[in-house]
Amino acid sequence: MKKQFLRAATALFTVAALFTSCAKDGPAPGQDSDTKYVLITLADRVSGNKAGFISTFDEMPTGTVSNATAGSLEGQGMGGWRTHGNNIYKMFRTEDYVQGIEKINVAADGTVTSGAFISSKDPSAAGKYFGTGNFVIQNENLGYYWDAAEPYKIQKFNPTTMVNTGSMDFEEQVKERVTPDVSFAAIGQKFLAIKDGKLFANLTYATNPEVQIGFFDDLYSNVYIAVIDLASENWESVTTIKNTGSIAYINENHMYDFDDNGNLYIVTQGTHPKGLGGQSKIARIKAAETVVDPDWEMNFSDFRALDDGKFVNVFAKNGRIIVTLNTETLTGGPTGNINSADIWKFYSVDIDNPTQYNEIEGIPVGTNPGAAMLASEVDGKVYLRGSSLNSGNSYYVYDFASNSAEVAFSVNVGGAVSGFHKIEVQ
Amino acid sequence: MLSLHAFGQSGTLTGTVTDEQGNTLVGASVTIGDAVSPQITDPSGTFTFSNLSTGSYTLRITHVGYTEHTETIRFDGRKTELTIRLSPQSNILEGATVVGKSETQQVREQAIRAVVVDTRAVAEQPTTLAELMNRSPGIRIRQSGGLGNAVDVSINGFQGNAVQYFRDGIPLEYLGGGYGINNVPINLLERAEVYKGVVPISLGGDALGGAVNLVTRKHIGSMLDISYEAASFNTHIANLSAYHRAAEKGWFVGIDGFYNYSDNDYKADVEVVNENANLVPATVSLFHNGYAHYFVEAYTGISNTPWTDELRFSIAHYGINRESQHPALMTNPYGALTMHNTGWVPSVRYQKAFGRLSVDQFVSYSATNRSRVDTVGGTYNWYGDFTPHTGVGESPRAALSAIDFDNLISRTHVEYTIREAHKLEANVVLNHNRRIGSDPYGLRFAGTDIDILSKEAIYAKTIAGISWESKWLSDRLVNQLTAKFFRFKTRGIDGFMANATDLDDYTTAENNNWGIGNAIKYTLGNRHLLRASFELTNRLPRENELFGDNDTRAPNFALKPERSFNVNFGYRYKAPRLSAEIGIFYRKTKGMIMLIPVQPPFAQYQNLDSIRGYGVDVDVNYHLTETLQLTTNATWQDNRMVDIGPGLHQWIEGTRLRNTPYFFANAGAVANVNSVLTSHDRLKPYLHWNFIREFYLNHIPRDAEPDGFLGLFGNAKVPVTNVVPNQHLLSAGFNYFLATQPISLGFEVKNMADSKLYDYYKIQRPGRSFHVKINYHLTKKR
Repeated sequence: MKKQFLRAATALFTVAALFTSCAKDGPAPGQDSDTKYVLITLADRVSGNKAGFISTFDEMPTGTVSNATAGSLEGQGMGGWRTHGNNIYKMFRTEDYVQGIEKINVAADGTVTSGAFISSKDPSAAGKYFGTGNFVIQNENLGYYWDAAEPYKIQKFNPTTMVNTGSMDFEEQVKERVTPDVSFAAIGQKFLAIKDGKLFANLTYATNPEVQIGFFDDLYSNVYIAVIDLASENWESVTTIKNTGSIAYINENHMYDFDDNGNLYIVTQGTHPKGLGGQSKIARIKAAETVVDPDWEMNFSDFRALDDGKFVNVFAKNGRIIVTLNTETLTGGPTGNINSADIWKFYSVDIDNPTQYNEIEGIPVGTNPGAAMLASEVDGKVYLRGSSLNSGNSYYVYDFASNSAEVAFSVNVGGAVSGFHKIEVQ
Repeated sequence: MLSLHAFGQSGTLTGTVTDEQGNTLVGASVTIGDAVSPQITDPSGTFTFSNLSTGSYTLRITHVGYTEHTETIRFDGRKTELTIRLSPQSNILEGATVVGKSETQQVREQAIRAVVVDTRAVAEQPTTLAELMNRSPGIRIRQSGGLGNAVDVSINGFQGNAVQYFRDGIPLEYLGGGYGINNVPINLLERAEVYKGVVPISLGGDALGGAVNLVTRKHIGSMLDISYEAASFNTHIANLSAYHRAAEKGWFVGIDGFYNYSDNDYKADVEVVNENANLVPATVSLFHNGYAHYFVEAYTGISNTPWTDELRFSIAHYGINRESQHPALMTNPYGALTMHNTGWVPSVRYQKAFGRLSVDQFVSYSATNRSRVDTVGGTYNWYGDFTPHTGVGESPRAALSAIDFDNLISRTHVEYTIREAHKLEANVVLNHNRRIGSDPYGLRFAGTDIDILSKEAIYAKTIAGISWESKWLSDRLVNQLTAKFFRFKTRGIDGFMANATDLDDYTTAENNNWGIGNAIKYTLGNRHLLRASFELTNRLPRENELFGDNDTRAPNFALKPERSFNVNFGYRYKAPRLSAEIGIFYRKTKGMIMLIPVQPPFAQYQNLDSIRGYGVDVDVNYHLTETLQLTTNATWQDNRMVDIGPGLHQWIEGTRLRNTPYFFANAGAVANVNSVLTSHDRLKPYLHWNFIREFYLNHIPRDAEPDGFLGLFGNAKVPVTNVVPNQHLLSAGFNYFLATQPISLGFEVKNMADSKLYDYYKIQRPGRSFHVKINYHLTKKR
């Protein structure tokens, strides 16, 4: 009896061991090359964790390509990225969508992996107050970011070694505008930009008591932006974008851009309490200036007097601003069009004539770019992100002369295109 | 008295079993060998064996409280009359097991396929119901943490609310969460029936091919059952069940109760922040993962009177307190967030057979209160250290909610036997649910300070069904045709996500649907059984899916029912030492209700995907010797996304359903050794191994899936980060039954190899744990 029982137990262990040992080698790496074209796609239609893929190509992609291949990185937080030279960063960790700053590594054989990660000093605080990891990079060794664990501070980090290197505390200055109606205040939570040695950081004065704190719940109708001198790390001044409400959402799409002259263009998303627009605008801080230009403004209401939408991105080059604008009144809720419908259309605007919106031909009306930038500059060309539910999923090369775009390459596997960049493998 | 009727080479055997005073005995188990299904005596003490071939049989009759009767009979076709009287037994320990197993056998062999988890047979083991179900073919239980954590049953790939739960045929929701798969001790159950494919109308549910019916323990005579389990992680499980019946006819009274407690402080691999703001690995004991739960149900009633077979009044009360250690993933710790659920549930049930007509009426009105408390002013790290912050709450949703639910449920079941071979059944379940509450930190109607919870929300549903069961070819062919009607209606204010907020504008939504199904069974000889079934059915949106939960679930009044079509085939073989069963299914589900993130931190249930799948499960039991039984089963299922449509997401067409294992297998050995330490004691050692093939949390292109037979070997051709790896769970234990006392001991080591185990979303589960259980069971003869 005991023997039979032991035999049965031995058989079970043996089968278990067999299954455990059944493993196969991973996919073979590709060809070694110093130059890589890197593509990110958002695969998931519904996951809040933004599943997707990042892949590399040795040559400029053409035709239709797959973005889920043997060297791809599959994971979460694939809504977009921020690039700096040959480096790529995401604000959400690939493994588990934790907020922070993750560096993406690309090997010479084209294999993409997730790299070092800077976390919030208090991950629970980061889970409660969104925006941890909103960053800007000054040079290879110094960048700045916001951490919900210390909302009145701006953190410093090394973008190469990916370690925190200190912080700048502005609690006293931030609190100057705090009133009893303010439930949460912060500096740099939603906007960080560097221009001419100055760091521009938004001031958050939220009113929501406990739900979605800092999302479209500003106490003030003006947006306040602190100006910090980076050499001395001193608070210098505050400049104001008037009468608009929220400055930006929180993800890789930082919603600002510099033109060829160094002028800074900043998107604000308006006053609607659910983020559906109204008084949305793009403001400018001119090169060598630290105050918002009072003489220049792009208003959504100039695009449509009904003022029923908002700006969600900006790209500035060659004297033009390129944006996508909603063709229909924005709606939220279960059947809302803001994130799920093909309503976002490309327009260009001459910077000198900011009330005239010119439709860009050749690119489909698409879905909300969300965390993706609307354009990428690669090999001296401007590629527009054109992703629609049924009319194409491609990068389109933009022709300034004709104000039109045509397909450069399309993606059929891996989801909606959300970033395209070229790097030299380090 | 045993009477015999023979017709040629085969015939029908009927008989009556009595006690020494000549009173008929109901519930006696009657067997005539392994090749013929056992029978249970009916209320008149009789039993029947149909289509019995001539030959010799060993007649064995057992009944709780009586000495077993065994004799050899020869069935030669001639009419024979025997008188069988059972002698009383002075001290009974485990005779009731026979009753449960026989009913279990009957359920296993009905036209509508059910996998039966025989809890009675293993009641002495320190095992949970979820663990037992995980050892069954085609069934996976997802449990995210330790004792008491919510479970999700996956049946043929159906999961979430597509699978419904019942207790004795009544939708379990009437007990408000106080009684369920995740918490009820197996000692309180006779068995769990898991329906795969067609769901019988008697269950009155709107499940999509998956339902679990928890069958409570049957009592014959007076009994007392007490058990206590102590286990790792400061786990304590106590169970008490007492029942008294003064006489065969008349009043009875009973009480069932249990108390579960666990710190659930098992070790987990997490990451902590270092001085560079980088995350580094750490292994910590969970510190805010406790769970305490009590449930008590007292009942009384009268039975076997001229006006009722049984009238039963019951009142149940429960309380659950649960600590929440982390959000959906183990990315950061909570140290103070708690959840609470209490309820009072009175009910009444009336059962009576009027000749060919029988009626079963159940009514319950429950009042439950649920709350979530997150008011701490700061955060915790994984070591339990607290850092104060301004603001309220440590999660994205501070809360101090108190939500009252009133739930009225009525279930009417009527059965009418037209002739011996034809039976009609009708079943109607009415459910009315009302929610109202408050939360000072909760959502407000836009532009007001009015709490969304302060406005009443009502959900009502009706599920009705009729079925016709007919038997043909000398009962070898059984067919069951069913039709179902589904209706729900809601009333509330949809005041979330930029919807209209007219506070007097109550929104109503309603929906009606029909379903149809058929199940057929054919018995070939005494060893072979063939089954086939199909069902077109609906799954109504649940109250919380429509109204949200005032936490992170937003309401969606526009939800529609899921619709599903499933086809099932099965073959069962049973020989004296070997039994085997194979099941094959096909399913197509449209408009699956899924939880969709809409705006952080909120998510909303929406009708989204369609799924098509097929699969097979195989279950084999083999008695290697009289005392050693081997069991094994394996399930492979291929559930894939369909109807994605052209365009951006077309590549998802044909990819696997995420977060769902597609292959899992079990193997086990159970021995029964007599006279180990003394002449009449007994030892039952057992060993169980469970394997789950790796599966993915995201869509992986179909052509990048692992190669090999059925995708069972190797890795995906895309390096996948979001994968739940292959898992092995090995557990072993034993039961020891004392010779002279109605006491048994159980000992088990779960996860002996201390393997890394995960749920469907990669939440870590406990490592190795040790469990000791003592059982005392006494049955008093009438």
